Amino acid sequence: MTIKERQPLVELRSVSKSFGQNAALKAVSLAGWPGSIHAVTGENGAGKSTLMKLLAGVHQPDSGEILLQGRRAALGTPAKARRAGVSTVFQELTILPNLTVAENLCLGRELTRGGLLNLRALRHEAVQVLQRSGITLDPDRLCGTLSVGEQQLLEIAKGLHSEADIFIFDEPTAPLNRAEVDQLETLLRALKEQGKLVFYISHRLEEIFRFCDTVTVLKDGAHVATQPIENLTPDALVALMVGRELEALFPERPAHVPDVPALQVEHLTATPHSPPVSFTLRRGEIVGIAGLEGQGQREIIRSLAGAQERSSGTVRVWADGGHNIAVASGSVAAAVRCGVALLPEDRKGEGLYLDLSIEDNIWLGPLRQTPLWRRAPRDPSLVRRLAERMGLRTPPAQPVGSLSGGNQQKAMLGRWLAADVQILLVEQPTRGVDVGAKAEIYELLRRFTADGGAILAVSGDLPELIGLCDRILVVRSGAIVADVPGHSATEELLLGHALRSESPSKATA
Amino acid sequence: MSSSMSLPTSPGLAYRLQQAASFILALPPAYLGTLVLLASAAALRPNLLSPFLLLLILRQAAPLGFAAIGQSLVMRCRSLDLSSGGVIAVVSYLLTSGVMPLPWPIALPLCVLFGALVGAFNGFLIVRVRASAVIVTLAVSMILSGTVIALSQFHAVGDAPDILRAMGRARVAGVPLVPLLWIATLVPLALWLRRSAFGRVLDAVGANPRAAGLSGLPHLRVVFVAHVTSGAMSALSGLMLLGFVGVGNVKLGADLALNALAASILGGINFGSGRGGMLGPAVAAFMLVFLFNFLTSLGLGEPGKLMLQGTLIGAAALAYCLRHKDSAH
Amino acid sequence: MTTLNPARTGLTRYTLGLPVVLVLLLAATQADFRSTQNLLNFSGQIGALLIVAVGQLFVTLVAGIDLSVGSVMSLASAFAATQSDPLAAVALATALGVAVGTVNGMGVAMAGVHPLVMTLSTATFLQGLAYVVLPIPGGTIAPAMAAAATGEVVGIPAPLLWCAAAALAASIVLRRTRFGAHLFAVGGHPRSAYLNGVRVKAVVVGAYVWCSVAAAWAGLFLAARVAAGDPALGASYALESVAAVALGGVQLTGGVGSVAGVVAGVLSLGLMTNGLNLFGVSPFMRGVLTGVLLLAAVSLQRRRIVGM
Repeated sequence: MTIKERQPLVELRSVSKSFGQNAALKAVSLAGWPGSIHAVTGENGAGKSTLMKLLAGVHQPDSGEILLQGRRAALGTPAKARRAGVSTVFQELTILPNLTVAENLCLGRELTRGGLLNLRALRHEAVQVLQRSGITLDPDRLCGTLSVGEQQLLEIAKGLHSEADIFIFDEPTAPLNRAEVDQLETLLRALKEQGKLVFYISHRLEEIFRFCDTVTVLKDGAHVATQPIENLTPDALVALMVGRELEALFPERPAHVPDVPALQVEHLTATPHSPPVSFTLRRGEIVGIAGLEGQGQREIIRSLAGAQERSSGTVRVWADGGHNIAVASGSVAAAVRCGVALLPEDRKGEGLYLDLSIEDNIWLGPLRQTPLWRRAPRDPSLVRRLAERMGLRTPPAQPVGSLSGGNQQKAMLGRWLAADVQILLVEQPTRGVDVGAKAEIYELLRRFTADGGAILAVSGDLPELIGLCDRILVVRSGAIVADVPGHSATEELLLGHALRSESPSKATA
Repeated sequence: MSSSMSLPTSPGLAYRLQQAASFILALPPAYLGTLVLLASAAALRPNLLSPFLLLLILRQAAPLGFAAIGQSLVMRCRSLDLSSGGVIAVVSYLLTSGVMPLPWPIALPLCVLFGALVGAFNGFLIVRVRASAVIVTLAVSMILSGTVIALSQFHAVGDAPDILRAMGRARVAGVPLVPLLWIATLVPLALWLRRSAFGRVLDAVGANPRAAGLSGLPHLRVVFVAHVTSGAMSALSGLMLLGFVGVGNVKLGADLALNALAASILGGINFGSGRGGMLGPAVAAFMLVFLFNFLTSLGLGEPGKLMLQGTLIGAAALAYCLRHKDSAH
Repeated sequence: MTTLNPARTGLTRYTLGLPVVLVLLLAATQADFRSTQNLLNFSGQIGALLIVAVGQLFVTLVAGIDLSVGSVMSLASAFAATQSDPLAAVALATALGVAVGTVNGMGVAMAGVHPLVMTLSTATFLQGLAYVVLPIPGGTIAPAMAAAATGEVVGIPAPLLWCAAAALAASIVLRRTRFGAHLFAVGGHPRSAYLNGVRVKAVVVGAYVWCSVAAAWAGLFLAARVAAGDPALGASYALESVAAVALGGVQLTGGVGSVAGVVAGVLSLGLMTNGLNLFGVSPFMRGVLTGVLLLAAVSLQRRRIVGM
């Protein structure tokens, strides 16, 4: 049965999509055939979700076209995409917690009789869908009471229950246990047999090799390869996913970091279900946290910063004199007082004051030491000197919202540099930043640690971590599974730790 | 901001006009509105522009000016205070019904303190319990007004204290005292806000409350203080109003909260944005009172004023939201 | 739709228990409470509030609020008092409701104006308009209309029938129509609802339209009962309807609520006012009581944002 002889069910021709200055997809072309389970994979930020969201009607391509069964399709909204025969199970749960299982299943496709909902038919339909999917859930239960795994199964059942020809699953197995994954496999094979097309976005190599017949690899928004799965081995697949040139962006790493502790984390559990995490950050050190999306890195960093309450564990910060203080849990102000500051990944939403000027944004850092009724510190030369040091060449009175990504990141960093904190917790240090500014930011981070600070950086960009960090911790399912020195780390090594459940086959580069 | 533009025939003029136009549009609506209003008055009712009347209008605008100070502070941190009506009702009751027979050096500050306490109560509910500001302040206003009305059965409202009436009439070198007091409160406050840490944090909290929380800024304290100040300002405007009207009245200041909201929005303050500074709402307060007087002189009654007020608030809010629709707020 | 789960309906033992306790309390302590005259008066008194509250429920379900209901009521009563043809008054009032609801809904859903600011501005405007249409209380209500609101049908007082009709209509829409199901979805999580194909903006506009039409009809009802129009008729109804809705277990953050809860909330509010009258407390304390109840109800509902 040669799949390629039939007409492709869906074709994306040279689609591009940018968000502001971030080019998420660059002229990607992809085709999918009926009766196929087609994997779409790549590293964090490769563009997999964005590509599928074009099909799902959530985003529209800036250029290029989408063809369904040979005809141009305008998928302007999720509702239109659904009507066109595309059913999507998003990575973010779209189950409504205040609706019952049955109501959620039928949302958007309610059956009516004479203008009124046919409640009995709806419930019957829901029961049937649950049975067909092999999912045992009480149709009258409110979804707010379901576990994450159950909600995901419900999402899947909802996705399956439709007259669609094309199904998109974005990381469906993240919250599922082994038995539930087996269930999913049965459902997917049934779809394949019915001649449907399934796009399966995942990092999980075991699943890709288990379920799928074709795989497309994306890297940095561009298409790398599309191959039948039988032509590849797991290592070959990983090799396709990685391997960008390490540009000469990174400053020199110190040969040796003195063993002076700055931050010590003991048995930290961010949530009651997380495994305990312990590590020490030393002065002058940049430690990276690597791992697939949603493996608990964000929770760890946020609970260290005080943005989240810790379930348990202690965090100690060493001051200059050599004595240490325990940082209180759940209070950002307390953490900042101890010299620990957060640079959130969502600059615009959580980090910067877009309507305020660069100067104002920077001054809000040192301001933390001033009592409210006092005059605010006003030293224009400080901002000027800081801006010069950072290579921030725009006039300080300009509102931050009008700056480029790189300059915005510098402004956010500048706030804490001016505030004289000792420990920086950075989420995605250079997301949405152009190459030139990246180099400057790495230089600033390294200078921060050379002056005695310490940095903990979460990043989805492996080459960045490898180039920048003295040590890299790999996180999987909330636990630290590896501690790799920066100079000997490779992408394969890190990805191997992050992806597989057994020890990786390749130990060194 | 430098930009390389290739313009057709007359580069300088077209570009400069464009710059001027965008500058004017970015100003708070009150400035342009006041100019338009003064021009219309010059055409239709020139006697309104006599210095004598203008000063009277300024005096009349002072209570609104005080209330607008409080309201704009509160709006700048994304909250709202609609409790002025209740505060003023209590203040006027306390001072005119004889239930509090204290000499004015004690009674007047006590009233301001009461206003501050109401503000503190509002602030507590809004900050600690996270109840909706509008509902809390409206409910508090209802409670206070209702209590005053019920108590008026036993002690009826009477004349305002002499000191207030005298203050209402007093002049300093020909200028009424009350607006001078307004300016005397406004200017130091504006300067302090611009220079103090509080002002900076207020701007930050309004611009991005989530970022303020994640940078460890005292978000909650600032909102609380804003509400306490607003309550005190409401009490002060009540004192002024009482001085003008001369007798206690339960309905005194009932529409002040809404007018203060309109003045703030027209003055360039919107929820979270403090772009109008303190001057914008002050100019808008004057503009609104002038407008109402102007319309009255044209024969427009109370109903017309209400309709206009509603339209102004709605239009200003719509214009602001539509212009800022794309920015992530 | 059919679920009775309190996490969805907001009906806890407190919401349902409060009116029951009040009835028992009043029946036991006040002989006047049990008289038929009092019960008749009572159903008439809460009639208007029930109709308005049922409208406010829809808007609250999508995490909104409508403070213009009072002005809409006043204006509708002004129409009733100045139109000799009752059908014309009804048509005019209904058209008013649709127009105001559309304006409110579009401002909130499409322009992104905060519901409080949007509805406060329309409230002020409409209040002015009410004074233009009917400067002072008075006017004449068509006898047919007055009879419809005060008469009896097979021994059942008309107000009671109107209450039942309003509650029934709302219940059917919420539980048995697609619009009702979508209201809950939008209130639960607008983004998820959108991703599921729900037309979020249309649903929000629909909720505000429903609310304003209900308010208009409540204004007609009240005007018919007192046989006069009054431009300040609806003054207290905006906050009272929010209080009734909040007391009825409806979450102001959206997605949770029921008609039964609103009925319970209206009953509680009405019984307390009735009780105040029977105990001889000043009628002006009604405003105080509503305010206190509103504060209590709102304090018990947790939110994350600070401020508006």
